Amino acid sequence: MIVKFIKDGISRRRFLGSTASLAGLSALSAGLPGAALAAGKVVKIGFLAPLTGPVAAWGKPGLDGCQIWAEWVNNAGGIKIGGEGHKVEFIGYDNEYDPAKARAGATKLIREDGVKFVMMLGGDTWPGAQPVADKTGMLFSTLLPSDLGPDTSTLIAPAEVHPIYNVTGVEWLAETKPDLKTAVMCAQDDALGLPSVATYLAAFEAAGIQMQGDPLLFDPATTDFAPVVTKLLSTNPQIVCLDTCYSDYVHPITEQLFQQGFKGQIISCTADFYDQMIAKTSKEFMEGFIFQFPDFDDPALNASNINFQNPNGFFEEYNKRHPGEWGAVSWEYASIMDLWKAAAEKADSVEPDAVLAAMTKSGKGDHAFGRADWWGKDLFGIDHALVGDWPVVAIEGGKARIKGFKSIPDWYAKHGELLKKHMAAYGQMWNQRG
Amino acid sequence: MAELLVQTGLNALYAAAYMSLIAVGLVLIFGVMGIINFAHGELFMLGAYVVVALYADFQVPYVLVAALGLVFVGCVGVAMEWAMFRRLRDNPLGGLVASIGFLMILQALVSMGFGVRMAHVPPVTQEVIIFSERVRLPVQRLIVILAAIGFLTALWAFLTKTRFGWALRASAQDQEAAALQGISINQTAGIAMFIGASLAGIAGALTAPLISVNPHMGHSVIVAAFIVIIVGGVGSLEGAVLAAVIYAFVHTFVTTFADGVIADVVGLLLMLVVLIIKPTGLFGTADRA
Amino acid sequence: MPRGLAWLLLALVLVALPHGLSFSQQEILVFLTINVLLVASYRLLTLTGEWSLGHVVIMGVGAYASALLSKRLGIYVPVAMLLGAGVAALVAYILSFPLFRMKGFYFLIGSFAAGEVIRLLWKRFRDPFGGPKGLKRIEGMPDLDLGVYALDFFEPITYYYFAAAVVAFCLWIMWRIERSPVGLTFHAIHWQDKLAEASGVNVRAYRTRAFVLASGFAGFSGALLAHYIGTINPNSFDVEQMVFVLTWAIVGGTATFYGPILGCIVLTVLNEIVLREMGFEQMRPLVYGLIMILSVLFLPKGLESVVQRVLSARKTG
Repeated sequence: MIVKFIKDGISRRRFLGSTASLAGLSALSAGLPGAALAAGKVVKIGFLAPLTGPVAAWGKPGLDGCQIWAEWVNNAGGIKIGGEGHKVEFIGYDNEYDPAKARAGATKLIREDGVKFVMMLGGDTWPGAQPVADKTGMLFSTLLPSDLGPDTSTLIAPAEVHPIYNVTGVEWLAETKPDLKTAVMCAQDDALGLPSVATYLAAFEAAGIQMQGDPLLFDPATTDFAPVVTKLLSTNPQIVCLDTCYSDYVHPITEQLFQQGFKGQIISCTADFYDQMIAKTSKEFMEGFIFQFPDFDDPALNASNINFQNPNGFFEEYNKRHPGEWGAVSWEYASIMDLWKAAAEKADSVEPDAVLAAMTKSGKGDHAFGRADWWGKDLFGIDHALVGDWPVVAIEGGKARIKGFKSIPDWYAKHGELLKKHMAAYGQMWNQRG
Repeated sequence: MAELLVQTGLNALYAAAYMSLIAVGLVLIFGVMGIINFAHGELFMLGAYVVVALYADFQVPYVLVAALGLVFVGCVGVAMEWAMFRRLRDNPLGGLVASIGFLMILQALVSMGFGVRMAHVPPVTQEVIIFSERVRLPVQRLIVILAAIGFLTALWAFLTKTRFGWALRASAQDQEAAALQGISINQTAGIAMFIGASLAGIAGALTAPLISVNPHMGHSVIVAAFIVIIVGGVGSLEGAVLAAVIYAFVHTFVTTFADGVIADVVGLLLMLVVLIIKPTGLFGTADRA
Repeated sequence: MPRGLAWLLLALVLVALPHGLSFSQQEILVFLTINVLLVASYRLLTLTGEWSLGHVVIMGVGAYASALLSKRLGIYVPVAMLLGAGVAALVAYILSFPLFRMKGFYFLIGSFAAGEVIRLLWKRFRDPFGGPKGLKRIEGMPDLDLGVYALDFFEPITYYYFAAAVVAFCLWIMWRIERSPVGLTFHAIHWQDKLAEASGVNVRAYRTRAFVLASGFAGFSGALLAHYIGTINPNSFDVEQMVFVLTWAIVGGTATFYGPILGCIVLTVLNEIVLREMGFEQMRPLVYGLIMILSVLFLPKGLESVVQRVLSARKTG
């Protein structure tokens, strides 16, 4: 049934058209301000992510970032379609990281609010929204490319190709500090932690770094990390890898590493609020901590190859409005919007299929960190992940600094088989999932 | 290997300390009022946020903040008793639902006041007692261990040596008989709630510099606390302490020698085995609830 | 008003209902219908006086079993659903041996622990349960071509009619069970278990029977859910969901058959529709929590007591 709809492109477009006009009609008949806005050329974008509950930290800051983005774009005249400026309006729906609520939310955003694009966190919630995406042909984005699969042609992962970019940190480390040869790793046992474990294992193997024991998995409900750290340090490793832990784990683990006397190298996917980690340990201890998410006041982001609009100004404005909340997701949803806006203006349309076609046309796209390839067939079964350079960030004198950009496609060209091997061992290849 | 064992033992001691503070409060509330306080983890969370609000944001001296945390969370407990549990005394399921509702309110209030992301608590002390290269005890953890011993001893003295303590134990054993003896149920319930809540609050305040403080942190301790009070036998304070020690040691050692997920499974199986062999827990006698 | 007419009217309302709703409200209606079965089955379990915290996990057992049977073995979805319900009942039967050594609070927590063990097994064994990400792309109900009218079960309205019919049938069975001698014994055990035991009733056997039956229906509701959203994971069946079921039952009241159903409907509509429409984003859990507290304080006998008062007022008036 679903397949029939996808193959039958015309009926799908007709379906979208009819629901959009339906939504317009109902808004008119209800006499809502929405109707008036529609006449003033507004394009609505859905934001379907957890806004309350334990996973809210992965959604709410992103919506905050999008509001800044929308104000800037609207003040500059909006999105130019057909020679006319369209204002952007974000409509949020709190899916509480629950697949059933994601389905209801996707239906509301698409069939009632008439949005033209839906941004999601993904993960557990994506499979709930997936049938709605298949049915309506709506364009969706996710932060977690492990949601990608060959059977959904309208899902893209244009901002963060988690966890593949983690290879860049390890590669940089191996080049800069070639004498570090042994490593241990810990991770929470969940959908974010496991693919990342596989990636780091591949990256360490490619760099000739020896793992001392299997990755140590812990339950997401863990609060006391002393036992985990004691175990990690029991083999006297030179490198401790924190995988893609949430900041609620990265902080106490780092603090424990400090208190239990670790003096080696730490590498992690994220280091949100690293200033707090420095406060809890010491500047000397945190010196050289490697991770993958720069502060956007970094001068390296003013280079001409960076496509994120005014990163320094965005960082400043975000910190002004939401002091102390800057993190990895603060900019990611906004960077997806940059890409979407460029594609919509190129296509001269906001319709999902036109935008998607314009976005992926040349097989290349303008990722926040530079021109990148639409890639992923090997791992995800579809070339819908935007992969290019990714920054390696290290803490120097108490401040995160980009140490360089490394190419993910280059690494993959050399070591792709290793990555596939470890991904398969953790059951993370697209054809192993679900 | 010896170093690893000693360090793991120290880790377990700390886990046992804060876990017993939480579990004893939970048992006390259940014993006196017959209500399962699902919001107990959120009282722990509230204690941690008192530290965030006063120590991290306003640099009030930590000792003072910890004391305020104890009193404040204790008062929240008294308010819960007065506003909800008192009216639901013959309705334990209603009490359960009310405590769940209260939990949601506390989480939402804290989320709105402090944000959904983890809050920052600067370290109180970075001193570490170094026994050897791989055996170290941070002073903040030592404080938690000593405080737990101190508070539990004080509680024990209060319960056995004072008139209030005697009344409390009497109404925990048999409420009607206690009432016949002229013991005010409202008064004992209020005291029990104050003590139970303030123990959770002080546990939160003392561990705040060591763990990630966020609005949902209560969830992870409440599950462990339930396991502990079941293993110990509901209504038995000694049982709760002993079970907290057993659970903490088992969980910590399994985490270090296998992994954290297996440790959770082992913890649950431990509880099921105890329940199957002795369905009232190690120290439980009466069949309550 | 004669009984038959009232039922007919209710049926008509239920048939007409989705057509007056928006698309997303139709989606919520489907989940609501499934949850009605879940909460009604929960009441069946509580008839003997034991409250479980593992009921949602048992629902999950039905969901996982049905999803795996249709995915792995290609079993026809409606058959897989029934088998899923059977697996849930079987798991409940096995669990009843350790669990019914306990009573009251111990049973409550024991059932919680048993449920957590099952959930950890789902997380731990990526094959076949899919680990923390769970199962995806679960077969939907196959389309039915009735010649003149093709039923597409992706559409919330269609699935709602299917689910509503099935749930109504299940509710009718549960109603019959409660009215049967077995059901009356359940009640007797609840109120007077010592007396029932003395009069030769095997209390444990009846508790097991109620537990297994209730689990079967819960498993079926899980299967209905799994084949609709097409994805399940261990977190869909965690203690937070259980807390919702528990509060539906208690806020609605469990003295009558319709009490928990009423609680489920009222609280879901409040939380998912009213509070969302009013734009309480972050405040939503706060208001919901407040409603829960106020309802147990001021309606200690549940929402059903309001209905009963209205009905008896009409009778006398």
